[in-house]
Amino acid sequence: MTLLIGALIIGLILSLLALGVLVSFRIFSMPDITTDGSITLGASIAAVLLVQGVNPIFATAAGALGGALAGAVTGIIHTKFKINSLLSGILVMTALYSVNLHVMGRSNVPLMQATTVASFGEKLGEGLAGGKTIHILGWPVASADAAVLVLALGFTAAAGAAMFAFFRTQLGTAMRATGDNPQMIRALGSNVERNIILGLALSNGFVALSGALLAQYQGFADAQMGIGMVVWGLASVIIGEALTGTRSLGLTIVGTIMGSVLFRLLVAIALRWGLNPNDLKLITALFVFAALVLPGFIEKLKRRAPSAT
Amino acid sequence: MLTIRGIRKTFNPGTVNEVRALQGVDLTIEPGSFVIVLGMNGSGKSTLLNAVAGSFYVDEGTLTIAGHDVTKWPEHKRAKLIGRVFQNPFSGTAPTMSIAENFALASKRGHARGLGWALAPNLMKPLRDRIASLKMGLEDRLDNAIGSLSGGQRQALTLLMATWLKPELLLLDEHTAALDPKSADQVIQLSDEVIQRDKLTTLMVTHSMQQAVSLGDRIIMMNRGRVLHDIRGAEKKRLRPEDLMDRFEEVRRRELLDESAAAMLHELYI
Repeated sequence: MTLLIGALIIGLILSLLALGVLVSFRIFSMPDITTDGSITLGASIAAVLLVQGVNPIFATAAGALGGALAGAVTGIIHTKFKINSLLSGILVMTALYSVNLHVMGRSNVPLMQATTVASFGEKLGEGLAGGKTIHILGWPVASADAAVLVLALGFTAAAGAAMFAFFRTQLGTAMRATGDNPQMIRALGSNVERNIILGLALSNGFVALSGALLAQYQGFADAQMGIGMVVWGLASVIIGEALTGTRSLGLTIVGTIMGSVLFRLLVAIALRWGLNPNDLKLITALFVFAALVLPGFIEKLKRRAPSAT
Repeated sequence: MLTIRGIRKTFNPGTVNEVRALQGVDLTIEPGSFVIVLGMNGSGKSTLLNAVAGSFYVDEGTLTIAGHDVTKWPEHKRAKLIGRVFQNPFSGTAPTMSIAENFALASKRGHARGLGWALAPNLMKPLRDRIASLKMGLEDRLDNAIGSLSGGQRQALTLLMATWLKPELLLLDEHTAALDPKSADQVIQLSDEVIQRDKLTTLMVTHSMQQAVSLGDRIIMMNRGRVLHDIRGAEKKRLRPEDLMDRFEEVRRRELLDESAAAMLHELYI
């Protein structure tokens, strides 16, 4: 049960990362590898502030802001200096590796003693339940875990709703149109370059927020924690699209959150069945590869089938 | 309304791909004037429109729209003054977004976009009425993705979007060239209606002699990046398609002459 709840919580926290990837990859059609650096940046900033005793909410917000800044830098390199979007992301990601080490002062910051949003949730849960465990449908559950899960669920839902609302505002629709047809939105007087910079800032802000929360839940920030995370986010987005389709923005956002949770659950089950953790990134990459290639491949087979008979 | 002074533009200067697209164009267009721009492929007519719209900056010369010197304005800033419809029906609309959202974007052309709802309630009623007036049955499909519509429908909607806020200048760049004849007629009729109703200052590029003769009050004929003929007033009214064909023929003959002369010189001296 603890394992299940743990997987659900991490899935929910990482769904913020997936939402960030949704913005860069689907709305702006730009696979943005800044993600790998900005998730660690969010975690590093939050961790260092927390160790110094800063209020967890402020520390988390500062982490998210740091990620937004990193995204904006990628956007500026891409739009103002006309560097390929993928390369812009690679440059910033590489630079962030050093930045993160400087922020943390070493490669790993543990948060065992610090007050975090997670420890706050745990205390809240134990206070409300009046004991260490509560029973849900007859299962004994640590009340601390249950409270953190509810908090994570509430926060993710609010973040998803906020993103949905934003993309329905005048500015948000202009940003979506920028990804859809830049020529059109430019002719309608919106600054395409600014929109891309803002979009990547928003995307990486979500990613770093996810990193800041993840660090607090797992109890440490680590310089290596971002490796392969953009692919993780892509996998969640793709699973989400399979679950809810892409007909409307709201469904896509809900699907992405569900995709992230489902993917984390699958991974937890696979690890429990004896999957070597070292193979995790390889399998994630293969999964995304298959998900990107299969639809076109199936189309081809379908088109070939009638002529063969 | 639009004043063009000695604009020049050379693409890829100093390379084998050098193209002198505009070689000194002067043009003054009065408010409310509907100008047809004609010319053969490569004559610079679309380049002229793009120069006005700000798709690139000109090498020399100045552009003034409604009293603003826009020569150094970026494209998105000029959009405050300009409505545009492109040749490609896919260019003027955001395909995955709904009809209503596309119009919401157009209703903010040249204005600051804030955090208010894009689909403002006070937009929906006039939008439904205006789209119903097209008689294409689209008023009940405002939530459908605009990419699911035909080229003709998209081009009609793009025209409405470009003129939703009255532009100081309307640029139509062969906007019916990619449509089937029936849709093209519809879109042309709609264009003429909107232009007459709002008295829009318009520059329209076309290949169709028929359109050139029946529409507008002035014809600019371009050749090799310059204005070759400027036909207006009574002369424009009297003009028949055959007269235009003659002028084209004349241009073509001159070009051929240039080519044969070049070939002869080449043979004689190299």
